[in-house]
Amino acid sequence: MERVKTGITGLDEMLRGGLLPQTATLVEGAPGTGKTTLGMQFIYHGIVDYGEPGIILTFEQFPSQFYRDAANFGWDFRRLEEEGKLRVVMTSPEVSFADLQAVEGQIEVLAREMGARRILVDSLSHFQRLTQDPLRLRHLAYTFINGLKREGLTAILTWESPVLLGQPTEGYEAGIPFIIDTYILLRYVEIESSVHKALLVLKMRGSDHDKDIRQFDITPRGIEVHSRFEGHEGIMSGSARRMADSFIQAFVRR
Amino acid sequence: MEREDLVGRLMADIDPELLEFLRTRVNSFVKWDLIRFFGENPHTTDTAENIARYAGRNPEAIQAALAELATQGVLTENRLGEMTVYSLTSNPEVRRLVHQFLEATNDRQFRIKAIYHIIRGMR
Repeated sequence: MERVKTGITGLDEMLRGGLLPQTATLVEGAPGTGKTTLGMQFIYHGIVDYGEPGIILTFEQFPSQFYRDAANFGWDFRRLEEEGKLRVVMTSPEVSFADLQAVEGQIEVLAREMGARRILVDSLSHFQRLTQDPLRLRHLAYTFINGLKREGLTAILTWESPVLLGQPTEGYEAGIPFIIDTYILLRYVEIESSVHKALLVLKMRGSDHDKDIRQFDITPRGIEVHSRFEGHEGIMSGSARRMADSFIQAFVRR
Repeated sequence: MEREDLVGRLMADIDPELLEFLRTRVNSFVKWDLIRFFGENPHTTDTAENIARYAGRNPEAIQAALAELATQGVLTENRLGEMTVYSLTSNPEVRRLVHQFLEATNDRQFRIKAIYHIIRGMR
């Protein structure tokens, strides 16, 4: 089966080779967990390693911030833009939504002209600005995602979780995880007075995937996903316990 | 009077093309801000309200300036459903001038001259 490799060490292995083409992946996490970095890395490797031009759609961060943040990882986004392989488009959810619905809209024309294959939408949670109604939000997100797929794009969409540790999320209420194909969770985890980062592929429609909760780091080269957390449980609660402690709690202290 | 002429001559010591651009297009500080914004974020397409938010201004302050920049060919104005959206023109000649203007504003002497011309134009 054809795969769209993210180029992220460890993640493609979890995804059994990469994402499926023309699918939408939601990357959800608290501020600073690395959602945007993961998305930028997906776009960067797509262009540089796999010859797939990409678009970044940003609803809040200025393109200049993307250029700067990417440069910190050694990714020259300005040069890629000059070469016509990347476009960082700043817009708003309402404009991009209307644009995707329009015939010959900016995204459609851009994707065709560049031959874009990948897109990062940062972030889908800004669609919450358009409506308070969860059903309406689900409808808007569904239409938007289908518009991206129609253009032949494999999409990573970030979702901002307001909870630093533990379980969110507002997205569940609107049923966003149901309308996307792949769902990746990024979490802070407290283990013995130290904060680590965890990554879990919770869902991947149409494919098997790794079910482990893996530790990851944001290195000077971008995100690197390591081995699974050993000897702990309750990782996704944000506060992991040693498995032996849980055993004692469950059986010995009764 | 003579002194004013001398100042005027000193301040006109700018690349003629840029001087023309300054006098006819960047002729207010709001427009200067908007040209800088679109120059730095050349693939932006958005409504006046959202552009105002990005620029840290109120929408009323920039609405007229956006419309004028569109009339002058620096921006393009399009209808998208019920919204009016603005983006930087795709005209390479105007884009080159925008880039040249932004480059020039890195120089303090140029900025002083540019401010002089904008204030004079406002009188």
